[in-house]
Amino acid sequence: MAPDAAVLISEITSLVPECEASLGQASSLSEIEAVRVAYLGRKGRLAQAMSGLAGLDPAARPEAGRVANEVKSRLTEVLDARQAELAKAGESGAFARFDPTLPGRAPWPGSLHPVTLVMEEICAIFKGLGFDIVTGPEVETDWHNFEALNIPPDHPARDMQDTFYVSGQVVLRTHTSPMQVRTMLAKKPPLAVVAPGKVYRRDSDLTHTPMFHQIEGLLVDEKTSMAELRGVLTAACRQLFGPETNIRFRPSFFPFTEPSAEVDISCSLCQGRGAVDGTPCRVCKQSGWIEILGCGMVDPNVYGFVGIDPERYRGWAFGLGVERVAMLKYGIGDLRMFFENDARFLGQFA
Amino acid sequence: MKVSLGWLREFVPYEGTVEALADRLTMLGLEVDAITQPFAAIEAVLVGHVVACERHPQADKLSLCRVDVGSEVLDIVCGAPNVALGQKVAVAPIGAVLPGGLEIKKAKIRGAASQGMICSERELALSEDHSGIMVLDPARKPGSKLLEALGLETAVLDVDLTPNRADCLSHLGVAREVAMAFGLPLSLPKFGLTESGVDCREAVRIEIADGKLCPLYQARLIRGVTVGQSPAWMRYRLLAVGQRPISNVVDATNYVMFELGQPLHAFDADKMKSGVVRVAPAPEGLVLTTLDGQARKLTASDLVIWDGEEPVALAGVMGGAGTEMDAGSVNVLLECAVFNPGTIRKTAKRLALPSEAAHRMERGLDQIGAKFAVDRAATLIAELSGGRVAPGVALAEPRPFALRTLRFRPGYAQDVLGMPLEREFCAATLKGLGCGLKGESGREWSVVAPSWRLDFEREIDLVEEVGRVYGIDKIPTALPQVTRDLTVVKAALNFELVSDIKHWARGAGLRECINYSFVGERDLELLSEGAGRIKVANPLSEEQNVLRTVLAPGLLQNLRTNVSQGLPDVHLFELAKTFHAAPGSETGAREVTTLALLVHGARFAVPYPWAREDADYSDLKGLVEDLVRRFSLPPAAFALEEDHAWLTPCVAVSLGGRPFGRMGRVKPAVAGEYKARKDVWLAELDLELLAELSAGRVPAFRDLPKFPPVRRDLTLVAGPGVQAAMVPAAVAAMGEKLLEDVSLIDVYAQDGQEERNLTFRLTYRHAQKTLTDKEVDKVHGAIATRLLAALPVKLQ
Repeated sequence: MAPDAAVLISEITSLVPECEASLGQASSLSEIEAVRVAYLGRKGRLAQAMSGLAGLDPAARPEAGRVANEVKSRLTEVLDARQAELAKAGESGAFARFDPTLPGRAPWPGSLHPVTLVMEEICAIFKGLGFDIVTGPEVETDWHNFEALNIPPDHPARDMQDTFYVSGQVVLRTHTSPMQVRTMLAKKPPLAVVAPGKVYRRDSDLTHTPMFHQIEGLLVDEKTSMAELRGVLTAACRQLFGPETNIRFRPSFFPFTEPSAEVDISCSLCQGRGAVDGTPCRVCKQSGWIEILGCGMVDPNVYGFVGIDPERYRGWAFGLGVERVAMLKYGIGDLRMFFENDARFLGQFA
Repeated sequence: MKVSLGWLREFVPYEGTVEALADRLTMLGLEVDAITQPFAAIEAVLVGHVVACERHPQADKLSLCRVDVGSEVLDIVCGAPNVALGQKVAVAPIGAVLPGGLEIKKAKIRGAASQGMICSERELALSEDHSGIMVLDPARKPGSKLLEALGLETAVLDVDLTPNRADCLSHLGVAREVAMAFGLPLSLPKFGLTESGVDCREAVRIEIADGKLCPLYQARLIRGVTVGQSPAWMRYRLLAVGQRPISNVVDATNYVMFELGQPLHAFDADKMKSGVVRVAPAPEGLVLTTLDGQARKLTASDLVIWDGEEPVALAGVMGGAGTEMDAGSVNVLLECAVFNPGTIRKTAKRLALPSEAAHRMERGLDQIGAKFAVDRAATLIAELSGGRVAPGVALAEPRPFALRTLRFRPGYAQDVLGMPLEREFCAATLKGLGCGLKGESGREWSVVAPSWRLDFEREIDLVEEVGRVYGIDKIPTALPQVTRDLTVVKAALNFELVSDIKHWARGAGLRECINYSFVGERDLELLSEGAGRIKVANPLSEEQNVLRTVLAPGLLQNLRTNVSQGLPDVHLFELAKTFHAAPGSETGAREVTTLALLVHGARFAVPYPWAREDADYSDLKGLVEDLVRRFSLPPAAFALEEDHAWLTPCVAVSLGGRPFGRMGRVKPAVAGEYKARKDVWLAELDLELLAELSAGRVPAFRDLPKFPPVRRDLTLVAGPGVQAAMVPAAVAAMGEKLLEDVSLIDVYAQDGQEERNLTFRLTYRHAQKTLTDKEVDKVHGAIATRLLAALPVKLQ
């Protein structure tokens, strides 16, 4: 006797609720996998039930086959749904205990010295204006450091800079200004350079270190003037210290520039008022101004030393102390900290 | 230069505030550093009237006074012998702090209450007199301030003069600037010179050996002086500008120096051996005892004043002890001379004798003004000391002063300053400065510089004056068109490359340090870094007497600093020059830009999630390798170097066979000197070579492989003579085309065993096809066999 198609169909159809019941018990992906094998595997319950199809009355087979296919896709659906449900639950469970505040696996914190930071910032400003950056020797001849800069031996101007000597005619450069001489000897105008570097003076106390850093600037061209010197330095100071900074030029004296000037910026601590809440300002000593750089028109005598025609060319130069700018910019009170290299100091400048 | 406001007002009727004056002077280039009150320390002292004065019942030497100070009457116990009823005295009330730091407090002296102190001149720092209390003019009003009662200066400007402004080293000089700046009239000091007795020129004759060294020497005789204390006005004025009063004659010379800028010297004429005053250089080795009692050994570059036989003064610097004015001096030989500035400067500097006189002498004097100054000083000495000025001036002037004539082109001034200038303004400014002008209607003017402006030498000096008086700060601003030659080939080791290296180091976790370029010879001895040092001839200390030949001492010192702060874990770098003797070169020094790296202590910055481990060779080497990779340098070779002075192990690093530097562990004995707790790993690398080798290097792109690689591992048992890098080198030498890469993937050494197992991963690849196992096995087997022949290794 042929098996009853109705019995077979009901057997196949009942697989769906049974499977759902089993899945309800399953609490892990492997248990779901076991259920999948039990129902949909090669020797699973659907396969077993379907093996009965062959014995059915051929007329009943299509209907039973259709039902079997439906059940198969239904089983696949419920298994997948349960699996997805469980996977999602597992994921959120695992990250519930995730601690995002644990330290990262960071490399050592590197840092650049504040002198380097300021030097690069200033050089970048002048590079943007079209200046080249040049460097030169720190052990320098007396001729480049003094004589060619219009500072003859036994001139009182030599007192302005206490000098370290290596030998009678060789010094540790007292300023970056010999780079003016070297630049003008090396190239014909037009010239526009800045020269950063270390300089040395025989002076050591609270406000002086025997080595410090300067940046020299020089522009030589056929038509330039004090007005352009003022324009460039005013722009550079505002870029460096902020657009609101007030700037004043005060006549001064340097043997290698004439006219010469010193540039003051308004004190950033007291905003140029000279006092903070009634107490005298310690940064500008109540003047409201802070001296920031020296500058001037290249002295015609200097052109004589480097073979440039002073009637055809004019030029201007400036020199600025890097530590001084760094102290103002970052609010560093003690100059000597720059050369102690305490990691707690260095670490404040990334 | 200290400028007393009251003194200044004798020459120019400035009525504005002292602050406005300071501001204007600063903007004229005479920078006012500070405005001070020279007598601020006795600000609180009042005029008192002694209204009762009795002997203290328990002490003979004390008086019980009642002193009216205007607002109240104070009980004051006074110990001075000269205190008396009715006197006007200087009273320091309770709370006042006197110049010596003494704070006046309420006191009980032998049972009597005292509410203040009656002061002596010394207690007020007005003189050395402490014989009794200071007794004031009876007309002074009780309760008024002593400062006002004595007419003491209340404002002194401290002017920081630039070396070119010698003309402003006097009140007259500053007054000239004030007169010009504010449009005020200037008046010279007025005095009436009366001469009597035998003409000076009959008693004194001047001889000058070399007119270059002494263009002008003048002498006047003042006879019959009585040396004593100067009057109060003179002493107070000198005190106000920081000059200690000495005696009437000497004070008068100092006074004229501060007034007119001309230094003068008073000799005791009776101590001079003859009437011949000779100005001549010292013979080498001459010894002269100066006013300060020091015996000075002189050289031929020192200029000396002789009395015909003996040296009597070091010209322009200091007088001699033998002819010094003393309390019994009667006749004065007054010197007023102009000496060669360079000569004075050399002497003052060599003997470390900076003085107000030398300061002015070495900056240059007004030779025409000197003739006015000698009369002014002689008159003042006579007035203060009761002496008589002899007629005439003994004078020698081998080089009379010639006024300089300069050209001035208003057009040139406009070009330099970059602004239009009114011709009238230029003319008025130059005239205001004391210049004579000719040809003002033309393009080129002829300008005669005043005798006090020795700094007017060239046209540009006049341009500066015009700009300065106009106001450098008022010149308009403009921006230049920077023209540059774009074909310039830049030096290899330029600022940009240095900057790139520093930024690499920061990214690699190193902190930048900057140390002084000089170290102590001891620092280099410790490292036995001997050869080619450059010494500083005049160091500040023995710790800074030589330029560093290596960067190590600085970084080791920084390690010590941080260890002592409780921060022993450091990763540091410094990029700076080292200096090496290079005889025959322009400066005698070869400067080598060098990079030093130092690691000490923990390998990782934070303890979690890293394991706590100490940094070792691999950390340092990794940094060096990364640097080589970053700057596209040729592959680095690392070789052990025996017997290095301060590194062990020491590893020489080379690039393409050229020495790049050294790295290794600082010997514990050296590291210990710098308080190291752990191994110190340090590298020093030559950036000149880096710059040369990285210049122009462009990455050469290779197409990505299309076929898969096949990898085979190979473990070799290697004896102690085999270094890891020998294996890839030996394999590379075989030239096997299918081999793409050899990498070390494991090193294993059993405790106590000298042999190590080195495991390498060999990667094979064919460019045109997928390799079969069989093909790879054949090649791999051949390589292994050849390795056994090439190196003392065994297969595991």
